[in-house]
Amino acid sequence: MPRILRSLTFRLALLYLALFTLSIAGLLALVWWFAVLEPLRLVRESVAAEAVALAAFYDPADPGPLVDRLALRGETPGEHHGLHALVSADGRILAANMTRWPARGNGDWLQFELDEFEMPDGREREVLAYDVGLPDGARLLVGRDIEELDDREELIANAVGWGSAAALLFGLLGGILMSLVVARRIEAVSRTARRVMSGDLSGRVAVRGTGDDFDRLGETLNAMLARIEELVEAVSRVSDQIAHELRTPLTRLHADLEDLAAAADTPERRLLAEQALREAVELQATFDALLRIARIETGRHGNQSERVDLTVLLSDAADLYGPAAEARAQRITCHIETGLVVQGDRNLLFQAVSNLLDNAIKYGPGGGVVELHGRRSGEAVEVGVRDHGAGIPVAERGRVTERFYRVPGGGADGVGLGLSLVAAVAKRHGARLALEDAAPGLRASLRLPAARTGRS
Amino acid sequence: MRLLLVEDDRRVAAHIAKGLGEAGHTVDVVGDGREGLYRTAGESYDAVILDRMLPEVDGLTILRTMRAAGNTTPVVILSALGEVDERVTGLKAGGDDYLVKPFAMSELIARLEVQVRRTAPAGERMRLEFADLALDLATREARRGGRRIDLTPREFLILEYMMRHARQVVTRSMLLERVWNYQFDPQTNIIDQHMSRLRQKVDHLGERQLIQTVRGAGYALREED
Repeated sequence: MPRILRSLTFRLALLYLALFTLSIAGLLALVWWFAVLEPLRLVRESVAAEAVALAAFYDPADPGPLVDRLALRGETPGEHHGLHALVSADGRILAANMTRWPARGNGDWLQFELDEFEMPDGREREVLAYDVGLPDGARLLVGRDIEELDDREELIANAVGWGSAAALLFGLLGGILMSLVVARRIEAVSRTARRVMSGDLSGRVAVRGTGDDFDRLGETLNAMLARIEELVEAVSRVSDQIAHELRTPLTRLHADLEDLAAAADTPERRLLAEQALREAVELQATFDALLRIARIETGRHGNQSERVDLTVLLSDAADLYGPAAEARAQRITCHIETGLVVQGDRNLLFQAVSNLLDNAIKYGPGGGVVELHGRRSGEAVEVGVRDHGAGIPVAERGRVTERFYRVPGGGADGVGLGLSLVAAVAKRHGARLALEDAAPGLRASLRLPAARTGRS
Repeated sequence: MRLLLVEDDRRVAAHIAKGLGEAGHTVDVVGDGREGLYRTAGESYDAVILDRMLPEVDGLTILRTMRAAGNTTPVVILSALGEVDERVTGLKAGGDDYLVKPFAMSELIARLEVQVRRTAPAGERMRLEFADLALDLATREARRGGRRIDLTPREFLILEYMMRHARQVVTRSMLLERVWNYQFDPQTNIIDQHMSRLRQKVDHLGERQLIQTVRGAGYALREED
């Protein structure tokens, strides 16, 4: 179905147009009834009565009185001018104020047109006549001019034709225009919604100040957005505060443990202090990762306006992790197309790719291959990392991006924040982290919207 | 080196001062921003260690004031704000390096020394030499004595960075920042594997070991053991 037909406004406009046309048609039918049909019926009645009355005057021996009456009737001015013809049985015209009439018809009623040159006064006529067969075979036609009614009928027919064509045209144009205007305003609202969803909480619906329905909707939405922004800000203020409040004691803890390690008088004590120090560093790292995920998710982290050359970024990542793979006798094979450009934050994207590679190396079998893909697919750039390990069971796949979730029996170390971070980065870039069974192994991929070309 | 430390947390300040003192440096410690502003304006230091959030006058204001007055003393910013954008703000204000709390003492010392004993800026010299090791920056060729060393472009960059800071400790995070130029957290230690590969190529059996591991800190290019 074309897009315009799915538009509610356009469909309402069509419905309205149909109702409008129907009511116009009803109105015109009524006009036709009163202005044409009803007068025609009256004319017909009077003509029938006249015909009967006039026929009574006919005397086959002396048509004179009838001819006189006919002439008198023909001269009487009136709305529907009287017309007649009297033809004897042997075909002589005894009286007539018409030049032509149809040969004997099949019924009593005749309706025919007379052109302007056929009439003495040079006017067009539409004649409704009653054809009376007289007893001796003579023929009497009694009629009246109904040209005016005919004109009126034609006028109404024209009005119906042109009027409905114009109504249809304007209705369609109006419908399209209306749905475009409404669609534009709805689009403005959904654009704002998308902006907010992508993390920019300061997005607001433009209000025109006319106080119309959309303005009121916009104001309500804006009030809602303001409230959401306020709440998110409150939450982030609290988490920033926690971050700062926790970092100070952690810094002191770190400092004291360093001093302790330096002052340790036995190797065991030194080892213990160093172990505690490592735990403190781990704690800090976990805490930092959590905060970073929260900041990315609320859109307070990362720069979206940078053009990032993924071709370079992916080969940098492969290059960085090459020796780590080699240490497990693995190989990273790259299939990276040239000219892959996306819009986003290079540091975050690098972090995401690096987490995926790190996982692939960790969970892939020693001596295996880790594949890194970067290719353009339609309007997107697809980044994929595949290992040949055990993969993730289907039941677990939805949960691995949850914070602190680790696949039961997965074996490897780490706190379970790596994939959460990748998912957050993906979401921030309008992408989704897809995890698929590569049989064997896992394929993790991100479909990022490609940056528009032509700008550098 | 004569150093100024502007840090309001007394215990952290004492720890840093102690560590720097043990490394052979003289440290003046001040506890608030106003005092920091006076000291940086009135006295001359080899480097300033500046906490970002301070009472009275905050670290970035001190930094901007210094730079506006034409003071080019190297400044290392310490901060509890670790995000990349915070870091960018700090460096844009005129900071030479940015260290997120908590940090290892060895990391701070390494970064300070690199800042203070800066070698000639990049691009001025087309050839770097250390002991019998030579790098030609134009032809991207590395030689040790008469032997040509076959390096990947990345290994060349690592070696170049180490030669520019010869005899100084270079930490893993410094290498990640300077050689790869991405701000991110590797989940595992990936630098050590790069270094061992580089070491295999640079230090052959029977040759003097030039790339040395500094325990608990990082690596250094040194001739002596």
